[in-house]
Amino acid sequence: MQRGIKLEQHKAESLLHPVQELPDAAGLPPPKFFRAPKGRPDWEAVLRAAEEAEITDEFEDVPLAEKLRRMRRAGVSLALACCVDEDPYTTSAMAALREQTDGVIAGLALAARACGAKKSEIAVADRREKKEILRRSPEAKLVVAGTRYPARALLRRSLQAEGGKAAFVGAQACAALAAAVSRGEAQHDAIVTVAGSGVEIPRNVRVRIGTPLRHLLDFCGVHERTRLIVTGSSVTGRAVTDPSVPVTAATRCVIAMLRPPRYKTYACIGCGRCSRACPRGIVPWRIYQEMERSRPDPLKLLNARSCIDCASCSMICPSGLDLAAAVKRAAAIMESGDLH
Amino acid sequence: MNLTEMKPPFIRGETSVASMMRDMLFALTLLLALPVVRYGPRPAVAAALTVLVCVLCELLFTLMQTKTTGLSDGSAAVTGMVVALLLPVNAPLWLPCAAGAFAIAAAKAPFGSTGRNPFNPAAAGLAFAAVCWPQLVFSYAATGSGPLPLFGDCAVQTAPSPAAVLKQGLPPNILPFEMLWGNFAGPAGATAVLVVAACGLYLFCKRVAQWEITACFLLVVIVIAALFPRAVFDPLSSVKYELLSGSVLFCSVFMVTDPVTSPHTTAARCVYGLLSGALVMAFRWFGAYEQGAVFAVLLSNAAAPVLDDLVFRFRGWGGELADA
Repeated sequence: MQRGIKLEQHKAESLLHPVQELPDAAGLPPPKFFRAPKGRPDWEAVLRAAEEAEITDEFEDVPLAEKLRRMRRAGVSLALACCVDEDPYTTSAMAALREQTDGVIAGLALAARACGAKKSEIAVADRREKKEILRRSPEAKLVVAGTRYPARALLRRSLQAEGGKAAFVGAQACAALAAAVSRGEAQHDAIVTVAGSGVEIPRNVRVRIGTPLRHLLDFCGVHERTRLIVTGSSVTGRAVTDPSVPVTAATRCVIAMLRPPRYKTYACIGCGRCSRACPRGIVPWRIYQEMERSRPDPLKLLNARSCIDCASCSMICPSGLDLAAAVKRAAAIMESGDLH
Repeated sequence: MNLTEMKPPFIRGETSVASMMRDMLFALTLLLALPVVRYGPRPAVAAALTVLVCVLCELLFTLMQTKTTGLSDGSAAVTGMVVALLLPVNAPLWLPCAAGAFAIAAAKAPFGSTGRNPFNPAAAGLAFAAVCWPQLVFSYAATGSGPLPLFGDCAVQTAPSPAAVLKQGLPPNILPFEMLWGNFAGPAGATAVLVVAACGLYLFCKRVAQWEITACFLLVVIVIAALFPRAVFDPLSSVKYELLSGSVLFCSVFMVTDPVTSPHTTAARCVYGLLSGALVMAFRWFGAYEQGAVFAVLLSNAAAPVLDDLVFRFRGWGGELADA
C-alpha cells in the first residue's frame, strides 16, 4: 500500500533561475562574526559553534544546537540533510543544495559528528534531482525521498523499517553550520521561495533574516490584489495578515494567492482515504467520529498521539473535513490524562 | 494589500464528494446508451424524471432542515439514476419516481443526508417498489419490442427474465453473445454486462468505488453458483447465468460499493462483500422474488458498522502500530 498523497508539483519555474540576492532593507544590523573553532572541531565544539552562530533548523523552527543534542540523546544512527520540499510550490531547500552543494555536504558531516550519527546522507526529491546533484558533486551520498507528500515522514518510515534511527537536518542549517565552523559566520540570511498566483515570476531569493516581509513582496512584484499570503508551507504553514512581520530562518516560502481557496464541506462519507494517506497508521475518520460525540471515549481514540501534524488527512479528505485538527484535539485529550 | 486570515491546509486534493458523485453519474449515464438504442428515448426520460424527483425531494428537505437551498453534492441524482436503471423500461413513469421519492424522503434525508444514512437509499427505494408493486417491478418488456411510447403506459409483450426462469429451476438458454450485450429481458440498465464491467473498472481506477467489496461479493456469488446450481446444468454455465442475469453485477459495482453504507476498513469491507454476496444468493434460492439483491444490500448495510467495530476490537483499538 502506498501511503501519502500525490500532489501536483509547481516547482519547475522557481528552479529555472539562480537564487537572487535581496538588497538589504534599511535598519538591519550588519552580519555578526565570532571566533571560529581552530583545527578539526570535536562534537562539542561544533555544538558550541551552532549555538554561537544562532543557527535555526528551518524545517522544525528550533535552534540547531538543541536539535542536535536531542538527536544525540536519541541515539540517531543516520543523519539526513533534508533537501526535499514537501510543499508543491516551495523549492528553497532544493535551491540551497544546488547553490551550496559543498557547504551542505560539509555541514552535514559536521552535524553528523555533533549528533553522533555514524552515517550521513542527503535526501533529494527524485531521480532527476539526484542526477543534477551528482553532476555537481560526484561523490555526494544521496537518497531519493520521492515526491509523495509527506516525503520526509515517508522516507523516515522506510529507512527505519530497514533498522536504525534516521533524523533530518535542514539543508540551509547544514550550510550555515559549515560557514559557522569554517569562517565563524553567524546565520544571517535564508533562502525563501516566493510563488503562487499573486507572483508573476516565481523565484528563490536570499533574504537577510529580520527583513520585513513587505520588502521581499515588493522586490518580487507581488500583485496588489493578493488576498492570502502563506509562509512556511501551503499545507501546514500560517496565513500572514500583517506584511511587516520579519522573515525568519524558518520562513522557507511565501505563497501569495490572488483568491483564497474555498472548499465546501460535507459529512464524512467513509471513503477511508485519510487512513490510507496517513504516514503514521492513524485512522483519522474513526477519531473524527469519536470526537463528534459529546463525550469521546479516550480508549477509542486509537493512536492519535503518534500524529506528526502533516495534515495529509485534511488535505485528501473529499468532504473537506479538518481531520488533522480532530486528531490534534484527541491527542490533547489523551495527553492531558483527563479521561472523563 | 487586503489580506485574509485562513486555517491550513491551503491546498487540497482534487477529489471531493461532488467530483466523486460526478464520476458516478457519468458511469451511470453510459449505461443508458444501450437501452435508448433498443427501446427509444423512454429509458432516458424515465431516468431524467426520477433524477428530477430525487433532487426536488432533497431540496425540499434541505429547505426544511437548514432553511437554505444548498443542493450540495450530486448524491440525490446518483440515487435517482440507480433507481431508474434497476426498474424495467416498460414500467409506468410514476414507478421510478415513487421509488426515488421514497429513497430520498424516507431512507436518506431524515437521517441527515449524505454521509449519515445507514441504508443505501436506492436499495431502500427499490425494495419499497418491489414490495408495493411486484407485478410492475418484475414484468420486463420482451426484446425487440421496438421503440416504446415516450410517456403514458406501454402495453408491450413481456417476457420472463433469465432470473425468473432460473427461479423456476429451468435453464434460461440465451446465447452468450446476447447475454454479454444485455439483449434479454431485465432491468433497464443492468442487463448490459460488458458496459457495467467497463463502468466498474472506471470507478475502481478513479477510486470512487472500492474494488475489494466487489471482488469478495462476486467471489462468493461464483462459488455458491458453482456448488449449488439452481437448474440442471454444469457448474460453469450455472456461474454464467447467475452472474449475468438479474442485477447482481450492477449491484456489485454500484450498490454494495457505496462508501457511506459499507464499512470503512479494508478487512471489514472484504467481510461485508462476502456477506452481501452470500445474502444475494440466499435470496435467490429462498426469496419470494426473482431478485433479492436490494434486500441483501439493505441487510448487509445494517451489519456494516458492526463489522467496523469488530475490526477495531480485533486490532485492540490501537490501530496499526506506528513506528516510534
